[in-house]
Amino acid sequence: MAKSEPNGFDVRYTHEKDIRSLQQWLSHKEVEKWFVTANEQEDILLCKNWISYAKYKSSLTATIFDQPVGIASLFLMPYRKTAHESMFYLVVDPKHWRKGVGFFLMKNLLNLAQNYFKLENVYCEIFEGCPIEGLLEQYKFEKFATQEKYIKQQDNSYLARILYQHFFK
Amino acid sequence: MNEKDLEIRLAVKEDRNYWVKWLAEKNILRWCPMCNEMEIEDAVRVYESYIPLKAIWTITLNGAPCGYANLYIQQFKKIAHQCLFSIIIAPELRGKGIGTFVMKELMRLAKENFHIEQLHLEVYEGNPAKHLYDRLGFKQYGVQKHFLKEGDKYVDKILMMKLL
Repeated sequence: MAKSEPNGFDVRYTHEKDIRSLQQWLSHKEVEKWFVTANEQEDILLCKNWISYAKYKSSLTATIFDQPVGIASLFLMPYRKTAHESMFYLVVDPKHWRKGVGFFLMKNLLNLAQNYFKLENVYCEIFEGCPIEGLLEQYKFEKFATQEKYIKQQDNSYLARILYQHFFK
Repeated sequence: MNEKDLEIRLAVKEDRNYWVKWLAEKNILRWCPMCNEMEIEDAVRVYESYIPLKAIWTITLNGAPCGYANLYIQQFKKIAHQCLFSIIIAPELRGKGIGTFVMKELMRLAKENFHIEQLHLEVYEGNPAKHLYDRLGFKQYGVQKHFLKEGDKYVDKILMMKLL
């Protein structure tokens, strides 16, 4: 069954001021657990790096009635030999989970990667148990690596890092 | 070559000229993501950023620099127990056991100085250095297809790890 966009949904290029929303979402416990950050200071570091891709127009912000509800960004590669691919990050405001925001944001990001940046593939890393896995499978991403004990949690238990890749041709 | 002639010391800013020289060597550059002088300079700036963290070392043979080793120490707490690394041995001194010496020292330093539990690496398909990592017990955990592109040719990236 075809999905329909949430009411009032739109996608635009990310503005640097979107860092406030990004930081707010990352500070949410249910979001932060799927990222490498563990506290406010680390969230700020990650957000500053993440939002820096806005200036290359490789970052998209999903909005619902003009309010940011998700950000997806291509972390463009700095070297010529790797310029045909890019890692990406994607996050959705936890208040808007399970509404299709991630699905449509991903669709737009893949379109940006393929048609604007002419990339041949994109890839991402997620941590074991992350709910985005289902979305990656919907878009036919393929798992190419599982690194055990990548994340060490506060209780000294570990989570694996799983890497996924999607080829456009 | 006698192992007693080899030493590993913390790198200093002046070592950068060696890094630039080694990286520019055809036989080294082909196994790196960089491809020209500007990109090498960019990579060397990243190496330099590890000097204050005491996470980059110079290897000397009879006092003369012959290689380097770098731990990409993580600033985020959740991933600070594991670390990506890179090493380079001067091409003219390859095949003399320097790589084995460097790797053993690097594993010791990672554990003792940074409490690293896992070292991991990225090596490109066909790089003979993979034999060294295999021999030292690094296990492959994935392959990223088409990671490097040169003209119409692609090279895969092999991902390996070892628990210390």
